[in-house]
Amino acid sequence: MSVQDPRSPSIAPLATVGRATPRIDAIERVTGRAKYTNDVQLPGMLYARVLRSPHPHARIRSIDASKARALQGVKAIITRENCQVVWGAGGIAGGQQYNDDVKKITTQRRYAFNNPVRFVGDPVAAVAAESRHLAEQAIRLIAVDYEVLPFVLDPEAALAPDAPKIWPEGNLAVNNKNEPAPQIQKRGDAAAAFAGAAHVFEDRYSTAFVHNAQMEPRSCVAAWEGDKLTVYTPTGGIANCQHDMARDLGIPDEKVRVVSQYMGGNFGNKNQNQDADLIAAVLAKEAGAPVKLELSRKEDFIGVHGRWPTIQHYKIAVDADGTLQAIQLRGFSGMGPYRKNSGAMAGIELYKCPNIDVTVTPVYTNRTVSGNFRGPEFPQGFFGIQSMMDDVAWRMKLDPVEFGLKNMARLFRDETPFTNYTLDECITKGAELFEWKKRWRPTPGSDAGPIKRGAGFTYMMFRSGLGQSNAVVQVDGSGKYTVFVGVTDVGAGAKTTMALIAAEALAVPLSRLTVVWGDTDRCPYSVGESGSRTTIQTGSAVIEAARGLKQQIAEKGMPSGSQTLVASASPNPKVADGKVRQAFGAHFVEVEVDTELGGVRLTKYVAVHDCGRIINPLAATSQILGSAVMGVGMALHENLVYDARSGQPLTAGFYYDRIPTHMDAPDVDVTFVENDDGYGAFGAKSIGEAGIVLSPGAINNAIFNAIGRRLKDLPITRDKILGALA
Amino acid sequence: MKTFTSRTAGTPQQAVTLAQDARKAGQPVAFIAGGSDLLALVKDRIVEPDVLVSLRGWKDADRIVASGGQTTIGSQVTLDALSRHEAIAAQYPVLAQAAASVATPQIRNVGTLGGNVAQRPWCWYFRNGFPCYKAGGQQCFSASGENQLHAIFGGGPSYIVHPSDTAPALVALDASFRVLGPGGERSIAARDFFVLPRQNATQENVLGPDDVIVSVQLPAALAGARGRYHKVMDREAWTHAVVSAAVVLKMEGDVCRAARVVLGGVAPIPWRLTEVERLLTGQRITEDLAAKAGEASVVGARPLAKNAYKIPLTKGVVRRTILEARG
Amino acid sequence: MSGDESTNPDISRRGFLVGSGTVVAAVAASAIEAPEAAPPPAIAVDPGVPHSTIALTVNGVAQRLDVEDRWTLVEVLRDRLGLTGTKIGCDRGECGACTVLVDDTPVYACSQLAVWMDGRRITTVEGLSSGNTLSPLQQAFVAHDGPQCGFCTSGQIMSATALLKRLPHPAASDVKAALSGNLCRCGNYNRYVEAVVAAGAATGSGGGEQ
Repeated sequence: MSVQDPRSPSIAPLATVGRATPRIDAIERVTGRAKYTNDVQLPGMLYARVLRSPHPHARIRSIDASKARALQGVKAIITRENCQVVWGAGGIAGGQQYNDDVKKITTQRRYAFNNPVRFVGDPVAAVAAESRHLAEQAIRLIAVDYEVLPFVLDPEAALAPDAPKIWPEGNLAVNNKNEPAPQIQKRGDAAAAFAGAAHVFEDRYSTAFVHNAQMEPRSCVAAWEGDKLTVYTPTGGIANCQHDMARDLGIPDEKVRVVSQYMGGNFGNKNQNQDADLIAAVLAKEAGAPVKLELSRKEDFIGVHGRWPTIQHYKIAVDADGTLQAIQLRGFSGMGPYRKNSGAMAGIELYKCPNIDVTVTPVYTNRTVSGNFRGPEFPQGFFGIQSMMDDVAWRMKLDPVEFGLKNMARLFRDETPFTNYTLDECITKGAELFEWKKRWRPTPGSDAGPIKRGAGFTYMMFRSGLGQSNAVVQVDGSGKYTVFVGVTDVGAGAKTTMALIAAEALAVPLSRLTVVWGDTDRCPYSVGESGSRTTIQTGSAVIEAARGLKQQIAEKGMPSGSQTLVASASPNPKVADGKVRQAFGAHFVEVEVDTELGGVRLTKYVAVHDCGRIINPLAATSQILGSAVMGVGMALHENLVYDARSGQPLTAGFYYDRIPTHMDAPDVDVTFVENDDGYGAFGAKSIGEAGIVLSPGAINNAIFNAIGRRLKDLPITRDKILGALA
Repeated sequence: MKTFTSRTAGTPQQAVTLAQDARKAGQPVAFIAGGSDLLALVKDRIVEPDVLVSLRGWKDADRIVASGGQTTIGSQVTLDALSRHEAIAAQYPVLAQAAASVATPQIRNVGTLGGNVAQRPWCWYFRNGFPCYKAGGQQCFSASGENQLHAIFGGGPSYIVHPSDTAPALVALDASFRVLGPGGERSIAARDFFVLPRQNATQENVLGPDDVIVSVQLPAALAGARGRYHKVMDREAWTHAVVSAAVVLKMEGDVCRAARVVLGGVAPIPWRLTEVERLLTGQRITEDLAAKAGEASVVGARPLAKNAYKIPLTKGVVRRTILEARG
Repeated sequence: MSGDESTNPDISRRGFLVGSGTVVAAVAASAIEAPEAAPPPAIAVDPGVPHSTIALTVNGVAQRLDVEDRWTLVEVLRDRLGLTGTKIGCDRGECGACTVLVDDTPVYACSQLAVWMDGRRITTVEGLSSGNTLSPLQQAFVAHDGPQCGFCTSGQIMSATALLKRLPHPAASDVKAALSGNLCRCGNYNRYVEAVVAAGAATGSGGGEQ
């Protein structure tokens, strides 16, 4: 059972790193032995359910929980009246990490239970009872008197002067200094460039709210032993979660233990603590017993955040030969009623352009909260600008690949060199593997007959910065090595990656290593599984700790008997000379569009990535395969549709959201352009988010090439294709 | 989940009796076959039974029997069994294909023909608990709401589309249902089984509260005719039809002697296109004729604000399915 | 333009450890283990609600259980029998994480009442392996990096086990169709298909169970 190695060996091989290695916990994962949060059972454990707002915007006049309280077996009920815990990470941080400074000054606090409630799904009360059925029965007995308020769902409409105000300060989201301020980026003089340009193009693109929709619905088990809280929860950042819980509950960090052994997917909305964790912890305290809180799939869709929807107005100036002169973006991001994350839009940085004028406005709406989802600001922005640029190339009668190679950034923001640069290599290699010249139609929509093929491409850069992290490596008297890292294996294979890095650095076989992870009582601080940085950052700490241990062994000899040698490291490396470190890549997609029935089929998919040195080709390839498929969902299927009159979400859940199935997944050919720029762990760069950021734009460009009609709004569903062709 | 008593009926008569007994005791009752659909409705409290009567214990209700040219399919035959049944695939291919197109293997493994025909609508307003006609209310929220998946034919006052894949195939095969109720057993032609909202806005068929489908009869007349079920979905598995067509063509040489064209996904009931059938009958099925049939298929369609795309889609599906059925 | 990936300064500054190895080792040794052993039944019949006694076989073991009529099969497997390898992803037949075999046929255990399982034979993922001896299919899942997060994996394996029994050497298209009721949000579909095809190719005849 050989597995194809997709690498192009361009760098010196290492002993362990770089070998396709099955996950060290693969057996647990294929036998059902891996214990996820909801698999944790504690003696005397109660079950919890949350009552959520049925209104998009309402003030709670009163809550009567007396009938629920009278139900036998109900052990605790909490509402805003007896639980005023602020969920720091759930609310205003202006796109930055919520921290103690923000906590002091913010005027827009998000509580575990809010009044007014600001979206359908905002928690109103929670119950802990002896069974899940009893808890469900109890929340149905809680009577809430609501004063229904006007609501607004669309970000542009929310900025109208007469729009219902979601916060007293208005609907323009505030930053962490309480200032309602859009994000502005300027370079050169865009207005002058537009005035003098040979060609100016304008268009509007939009992307939908898509939910992270991990297979594992959110759950939490909270238990107190005296004044110490243990939280079993699916979090990608155990240290963040620990500190968030301590801050929100007003207890010292060391009084919180967070355990996340296995979790069913992360994709960006599990990096900090969740309101579910706080609610379970407060209920457990109140009830004096461990509490398991389980969210239903629908609650997970509306109660845990998804990707912010965007509206993007572009204006592009090019000179007579198609060289970019100016880019203007007026963007609006729908954040829901709480600003959990930035609402930014990436993509401008992909182009060499002297004049840039960008204003991105994050806006409050009465929809489900938006936040980070795998490449938080990338797939939306890349879809918009790379669809726009594909259109500009077509209008300028240029091959989009040539247009890309001509106009792509060669310095970061046109000023800063990269640690290495392979964007051109990724594009040319991809074009060759894909047979671009053969598959791309010079005249879009020119295939005869109702079934038409076309090709499209997009390219990317993604942050691969260095940063502080920690690791501990020890060896005992029997020669067994243990690596302690504060990572959680969200599914990307971090545990195995850490083991491979440690084995390489220690020059010992993988079989002599154990990794301890996902438990704040046992593991040092790690940044957590977000931002595609575990391999780079925690991997570097593992290398440094391993080196320290080797030095100790060299000095003292191997330990014997009950002795152990331990080394820890907390490196905080920096890139020299102010350079910028980025991963690069390009995706090439061929689609077949059925112009009669409006269907889209992906017939060829080539992904080329420079993610630095590949630590584990097996897991790295899976990351690209999987995120490309996730991108297909964003491109063609997923959308949290709302009923405009009631403000109710209609498509919460796997069925209505049309999450891609086995039948919808294209076969993806993955190729890595490997490089070692001397940074990261053995030259590793980011990979977890690299795949998804490219697919929506590449698919859309291929659809244009196939049918000669430009689709501008995600998801590209059958009704839109048939509408465009009508 | 709500509490309820689960009862298993050993025979159709027992099912009817159990239901009547429960109702007499003031207990809401629901029949359940495969379970996939109804259990979700119970979890969401859209259906709130005190007694759940399972039909899966019926003896011989999971058999397919041919006699005297007529084929009788027990209502508890699973969709998987139906889709793999050799005689059905040979004699009534449209039905085997329709059964194979339903949901997922896991659902087809338990879902029954009777349950598929009698399933409740998948309108997102109904399934999200809106108090619509289908939930006993006095409003259709899709009419001026999110109606991209809703009816272009036969709508009003409710605009749901009938969700069953097998139903259009059964109508196309001139099937009839053997139904047992408190008044005894009766046979209902498939074309009379489904009801438009203007006749009865709360339910999709003529079944009384304590009626159960015992079996489905397929007449000999269309046995062996060519057939094709073509289903267009929003993803390639596990959705209901956006538009589907069940086409049956009885051919003599290359001339069509009898035709049935029935649509799914476009109307509150399986939508039979008798004009299109007339157009095909007595003719050679050519590309041109199929295209004409496609054009004719949407005469009288009245799209809502967000589902006009179903017009070209229906034309295309009808045209293609006729050609696919012809072979 | 950054997301919330920025390192939490509060925590970074705290400097969790300063190289005191003995402390870390001691923590490691004394740490409270997450409960690993088979847990006690987490649910009990409420005598006040309708309940029934059923007899069924689960992974070859005969079980006689008192169950509430409203309990689903997956609830009983996970919370009554401690077989937590079967997951709940949606609890309404939309994702396949709860797929088990009932008399060798894959079904959604979230959409079946336990009372209907009287007299039936259930196989869960725990029934496919013994100790670290994996079925050929499980081995292929390991070799081909089938599971990413692993939450859908048990369901994929159960559907694939049934497929291999019916069709020992499936083509990729057979696998996709047979597994079409099993969602994977990690999107690792290519890997799952590779693994099942490889497991079929690697076995002489039939391959799912050992």
